[in-house]
Amino acid sequence: MGERATSHSVTVEVNGEKVSRIVAARQLLVHFLRDTLGLTGTHIGCDTGNCGACSVIVDGKLVKSCMILAPQVDGAKIETVESLAQDGALSPLQESFHEHHALQCGYCTPGMLMSATYLLRQNPEPSDEEIRRGIRGNVCRCTGYVNIVEAIREASRGQATGRRSVHAAAGEEV
Amino acid sequence: MLLEQVEYVRPESVGDALEILASDDGAAPLAGGQSLVNVLKNRVASVDVLVDISRLAELSSIVRTADGGLSIGACVTYDALDRSPEVRESHWLLGDVAAHIEDQQIRNKGTIGGNCCLSDPTNNLPPVLVALDAVMELRSRTGERSVPAADFFKGYFATALEPGELLVSITVPPMPERSGAGYASLAVAADAKALVRAAARVTLDEGGATIADSRLVLARVAHVPVRDADAEARLKGADATEEAVRVACSGVADGMQPIADVHGTSEYRRQMAKVMARRAVAQAIAAARGSRNGSTAGGK
Repeated sequence: MGERATSHSVTVEVNGEKVSRIVAARQLLVHFLRDTLGLTGTHIGCDTGNCGACSVIVDGKLVKSCMILAPQVDGAKIETVESLAQDGALSPLQESFHEHHALQCGYCTPGMLMSATYLLRQNPEPSDEEIRRGIRGNVCRCTGYVNIVEAIREASRGQATGRRSVHAAAGEEV
Repeated sequence: MLLEQVEYVRPESVGDALEILASDDGAAPLAGGQSLVNVLKNRVASVDVLVDISRLAELSSIVRTADGGLSIGACVTYDALDRSPEVRESHWLLGDVAAHIEDQQIRNKGTIGGNCCLSDPTNNLPPVLVALDAVMELRSRTGERSVPAADFFKGYFATALEPGELLVSITVPPMPERSGAGYASLAVAADAKALVRAAARVTLDEGGATIADSRLVLARVAHVPVRDADAEARLKGADATEEAVRVACSGVADGMQPIADVHGTSEYRRQMAKVMARRAVAQAIAAARGSRNGSTAGGK
């Protein structure tokens, strides 16, 4: 990308699917995901890089998508919360969040799930301290974090039962 | 949030980046963006063109220098510093301070160069780099120059960088024999900005009983990290004991006028500067005696 311009062509692989779009240089990655691609699972909380609700994984690195410009991710592989469930079945981590009541309002959950996904890839058996350190960039105003830490700990131990969620069991879209 | 209209360019080389930076006063290098993007959101700075240097391989490596020091590219992230075997082997403290900056997301993007070039007085790395006698390697279209870290930080959000100049790497000399580094930081809450900080590097004499040389750098007592020359003079030749260090650090920050705000008065910060200095020096002594070449305590 040699030319300076206010808009750029960007090709990325989002959740395994290759997409190309023309983006404004000033567009934040979180807006590219939500508004341009319609992937509204990624939430905007503070829009200042503090709350972590917009966390996604770009080329294997956990980042806050409100702190990155869309043209910066050209050529990258992006994973959002939509990548976690497969064919309507929650991932073990999502199952564990469900079982341990690790969310109340759910607003922070997409970011928490992506931070926990990244953490467990780096460190498959984290201590509670390591879990808390891993989600330090994610703010939750409901739970007090205890159930989130439990959910991540149990998921890391493979102790989520692997039951399909109640929604999936009932044949609903999840 | 919608940013002001801005151009973006991703040059293929440092040379190309320098051309663009030299050709336009409104050009700004974009590295990790973890401060710059917020600056753009708040529209407190007007930028014509963002020059994305984050993918330039030349700026992203950590290299062991011939003398045993480190050459750290400006775009090396905090996470890369934390995980670098080279950094941990010779300058453990630098990796440890980087490991405690903010959170994983920010450590994955934020860079050592950005941390320094922003020159935010609350940033962690500047006092550490001053204590380690680091040298900032600057390059422009017309040449290169080396600026000691102690002379690089000029004030609130101000550095020695001239228009068109880019920080390309930071050279950290090898730790002298029998040396260790320490760092202590005081914040009122885990996520709060630090009230006062101290970074120290201590070299012990051959017997290990007295202090042969030291660097004691305070942060947040002034606009930029400052060496406390008086305290360094008192530490020289002092016994490497808790009591001797306490005495040597008793005058730390005297005569300085740290800012006062809702989190602490100027006097409180002055007093706490003595405590942080004492702890940083004590850790540096312990590190010099132990296997680690630096240790840390306190929050970020």
